[in-house]
Amino acid sequence: MLGIVIGVMAITSLGMTGVALEKQATANLGNLANEVSVSPGEDIETDGITDDQVETIRDIAPATTVIPQRSNATELTARNGAEANVQVTGVTNPAPLYDIATGDEPTRLQTGALITESTAEQLGLQLGDPVEYGGQIYRIRGLIAAESGFGASGGGELVLPESALNEQEHYNSVTVITEDGETSTATANAIEAEFSDADEEILTATSFASVQEDISSFTNTLELALLGIGSISLFVASVAILNVMLMSTIERRGEIGVLRAVGVRRGEVLRMILTEAAVLGGVGGLIGSAGSLVVGLALFHVLTGEAALALEWSSSRYLLYGMVFALVASVLSGVYPAWTAANESPVDALRG
Amino acid sequence: MSVIQLTDVTKRYDTEAELIEALKAVDFRAERGEMVVVTGPSGSGKSTMLNMIGLLDSPTAGTVHLDGRNVTDFSEDERTEERRSQLGFVFQDFHLLPMLTAAENVELPSMWDTDVDRRDRAVDLLRRVGLGDRLSHTPDELSGGQQQRVAIARSLINEPDILLADEPTGNLDQETGETVLDEITRLKNEENVAVVAITHDEQLVGYADHVVRLVDGVVQ
Repeated sequence: MLGIVIGVMAITSLGMTGVALEKQATANLGNLANEVSVSPGEDIETDGITDDQVETIRDIAPATTVIPQRSNATELTARNGAEANVQVTGVTNPAPLYDIATGDEPTRLQTGALITESTAEQLGLQLGDPVEYGGQIYRIRGLIAAESGFGASGGGELVLPESALNEQEHYNSVTVITEDGETSTATANAIEAEFSDADEEILTATSFASVQEDISSFTNTLELALLGIGSISLFVASVAILNVMLMSTIERRGEIGVLRAVGVRRGEVLRMILTEAAVLGGVGGLIGSAGSLVVGLALFHVLTGEAALALEWSSSRYLLYGMVFALVASVLSGVYPAWTAANESPVDALRG
Repeated sequence: MSVIQLTDVTKRYDTEAELIEALKAVDFRAERGEMVVVTGPSGSGKSTMLNMIGLLDSPTAGTVHLDGRNVTDFSEDERTEERRSQLGFVFQDFHLLPMLTAAENVELPSMWDTDVDRRDRAVDLLRRVGLGDRLSHTPDELSGGQQQRVAIARSLINEPDILLADEPTGNLDQETGETVLDEITRLKNEENVAVVAITHDEQLVGYADHVVRLVDGVVQ
């Protein structure tokens, strides 16, 4: 019984670990992979990306979120005299671009400002405090979390409404948020094809496709490794279950002899042992799965911070697999001992 | 017509070391309602003979007839059916299943039958051996004599023609042995079964309708 429980827990927990690690990896890196960054090319005639070009991008990639941005740089000075160089970004819809640690996460930024957490700390700024840019005062509505993935600039950033940078007529860059990594590659290619050719480069579009490739090859390797470990534990668990079944029939050799002597048929002995194996496997599988669920919840809590993710089908299906495995392996492991026990001569079995 | 008839039965065991002849041309018969006690020193072939009658083993030569039918060359499955319907076994160390209650142990031989009244018959048999108030006790809650009476009830659940007893009093004290033997005698008459008991206990001989002595595989 213990062998079955441990076997099921080994397999199920490994499966769930795989899912949890994959979730964590994609959560950490994944939000970069679906971004396409569009910037002015060498042969552009204006000093930035025009409204018309933004509209064309929207037409090329209809199912995406297109976020044009103006940017600049400035030096912020705090009341206590501390100074910080920050990049200023004017954007109407900052929500998809930034992780907000505290405060608002606006999808339409009309007033107020967002500022990187570290910069705010450096300057002693808090939510509701004013910052000045271009002679205007903006109140801080939200603090941007330190970037967790790569690709972000190390310095601080001040995010303002688009109108704050109105003196710049054109956009400095456009970020296109797509559904996933594959779409982002396709979108980047489509934008390049529209605006550039071999001789002329009006706009360039970069997707984080290479990052995406790295992520998928990383998770593939991870899955393969876990699959390898998983199949070893599957094998070990099967041997453990076979051993359990063998032991239990050897222990009861005499009893089976009595059954046979008093006229219980071979088929009935066989059925009895297989039924017992199935019950053993079923109960063991249930206990093992319950244990794995606890392990899974803990794992998801630690790795992704959200224990409830363990209940999603992608990971909870391993509980089902574990249970089915326990049942099938137990019955299969029961076949040989049951067959031997049923066919032993009752005289030999009675003698012990 | 005898319910049990062994004719010229010989059993040889061919071990690597030697050839053992456990039974040598044994003739034996028993009638319904009769108790035959087979005695003899250990190694005389008593158990081998009981295994022949009980269809747990088959002879090297000779024939076994039960109720007039030649069962010598029955297949394992046919012999199982025969044991189930014609034969009851009582063993020296009772061989009750420890997890089951007295009533369940009695039902055991027919547990796989979809026979609705087997529980009634089990209860009835246990009452008749004086254990009507011990139905849901497990073997470890019963004394040796009570366990043996459960085993006797079990041997009669399928209404057999023949009751085979291997040292039925071997693990019991004198007094308990007597009650068990009284029980067997009473049921033998009530159910009209042939009882074959093997023993080296002289106590049993007093209950026998006739006694067969076996020495070195030969009936004396």
